[in-house]
Amino acid sequence: MNHLKALLAVAGWTMLLGASAVASDVKVIANPSVKADSISTRELKSLYLEEKNSLNGTHVEPVMERRGPAHEAFLRDYLGQTDDELQKYYQTLVFTGKGSMPKTVSSDAEVVAYVAKTRGAIGYVGSGASLEGVRTLFIADSTGTERQLVNRVEPAYPKDLQERSIGGTVRLKVVVAANGAVEHVDVLGGNPILGESAAAAVQKWKYAAGSRTTMEISVPFEPKH
Amino acid sequence: MYRRVARLLLLLLCAGPVLLHAQDFKLFDRDVQVHGFISQGYVYTSGNNWLSMNTNSDGSAAFTEMGLNMSSPITDKLRVGAQVYDRNLGQLGQYHPELDWAFADYRFASWFGVRGGKVKTVLGLYNDTQDLDFLHTFALLPQSMYPTDLRDETIAHLGGDIYGDIRLKDELGTLSYTAYAGHRSDSIYNGYPLLLSSQGVYIKTQGGLQYGADLRWKTPLKGLLIGASRINQDITATGLTVNQLNPTGPLQAFSSSSKAEWTNQFYGQYEKGKLRIDSEYRRYFTNFGTSSGNTNDVRGWYVSGAYRIIKKLEVGSYYSHYTIESVYYGPIALVVPSQTDTSLPQNHIYDKVITARVDINRFWNLKLEGHFMDGYGVSTYPDGFYPQVNPLGFKNNTDALVVKTSFHF
Repeated sequence: MNHLKALLAVAGWTMLLGASAVASDVKVIANPSVKADSISTRELKSLYLEEKNSLNGTHVEPVMERRGPAHEAFLRDYLGQTDDELQKYYQTLVFTGKGSMPKTVSSDAEVVAYVAKTRGAIGYVGSGASLEGVRTLFIADSTGTERQLVNRVEPAYPKDLQERSIGGTVRLKVVVAANGAVEHVDVLGGNPILGESAAAAVQKWKYAAGSRTTMEISVPFEPKH
Repeated sequence: MYRRVARLLLLLLCAGPVLLHAQDFKLFDRDVQVHGFISQGYVYTSGNNWLSMNTNSDGSAAFTEMGLNMSSPITDKLRVGAQVYDRNLGQLGQYHPELDWAFADYRFASWFGVRGGKVKTVLGLYNDTQDLDFLHTFALLPQSMYPTDLRDETIAHLGGDIYGDIRLKDELGTLSYTAYAGHRSDSIYNGYPLLLSSQGVYIKTQGGLQYGADLRWKTPLKGLLIGASRINQDITATGLTVNQLNPTGPLQAFSSSSKAEWTNQFYGQYEKGKLRIDSEYRRYFTNFGTSSGNTNDVRGWYVSGAYRIIKKLEVGSYYSHYTIESVYYGPIALVVPSQTDTSLPQNHIYDKVITARVDINRFWNLKLEGHFMDGYGVSTYPDGFYPQVNPLGFKNNTDALVVKTSFHF
């Protein structure tokens, strides 16, 4: 019986760790000079495609990773492009004089170091990266009309996971009614336990009134190091 | 010449790793980026000396292009930059460098910006990027739309653009617009002056006012883009010409202006995963006068498909359809016959193309391409076929192998 319990416990933690590893493990970080707590995927995409260069009135300079899992996840989840497609896009800008190559570095640590020291810098890193000197932006994604969040309930961070430094970003699909109440929440990706916690909190969020909207949002869980 | 190109290519390839890290630097506390490209091709034709313009053999390596640019953001909204471009294609270009673009760009907001200086003209899917081999699957873009020997006719203008992106409500996609006006100035090393020189007309200047607009819609269907472009041009060519009444006498002054000259272009592009399909239609119309002159009506279209089989290998194919009708009237009609039958080989080019592109690394690619052409369409514009390199006349069909490699940083 004890063997069975131990086996189940190991299996449970293996599932948790496995789920954490395949989560959308990207955090968007910014220099403390950036006057924003959140950023929508639309804004994020516009900044990285050089369609705009400011966020809430602050000049923003995007920085990219050259390669790696965080880079691939960021391109896939937030820009909807492959690395080849994005390079081609930047080359078109560069060689017609309509834009420039963004600053590119090789690792999460270099992104964090650059963002920490560069006024207006914004970047992305894997969820396990040390975030000293930068701030994490909440990704308020929207696939529909933008809806303003008026009341936010923070999700509970399960103590067991926090103690074991299991974190990551959870992606949710949220249906917001015309009156601003959250009608429905689906977990799209991330650690299932964190997803459940995030979904329970988001269900209590309140948005400004508007037309019925379906959105994707990302909720980060940052373990204390 | 070949040695010079080979040395330059070798130098760039060797210097590549250094350049890749040396492309950013600070100047007066501003970030400056430097980028460049070079491509080298070889064209082998079954006849007609298409593009190669080499009468000594069926092949030619006179197919070199290069560019170098520098740009810098001056403020959050203002950026400046310039690019120098040079090429040698058959007898065109002849390594005379030119300022490709050089402008200041001020972007007030994502939906409105202005550019002033020498600006690449937005026309269809690829007019402003047609020289950038590394961006394209094909070694030669469809020549019914982007004839490489006539690039100067549409490539840039000295003037200004307004432009912007407007995100439509209710997820209806994004509209991008560009409107422009300026002066076009052609190089005398372009294809049209070379063609006219075979008729005893030696152009010294060619250019004039051009204005137009482009509107493209990135539709809600992911990967689908459609758009339309229009240019109006008022072009004058000046130079010298042989006196038809006294061919051995001194050359006479020559001047010719178009009374109406416009291009309409419609296009669509669909990308899904590793597949990309492009299609464009262009009509280019010119009227050279009311009492005595001619009208030229060029129509071209193509459909192309490209598929990336593996990360380093992409294959593609296109069909390019080009026809021209030229109508002469007034006294000149007595000596120059009208060309209105587009089924004749001198009035059309139908080009079937297959290609393979190998990406050796992120900065270097190699392309192999086969062209199978019906017609030579040389009655009014050259499109790669020149009478002076075909003194015995043209064959109706031309096959060509194009090998091209390009490097950029």
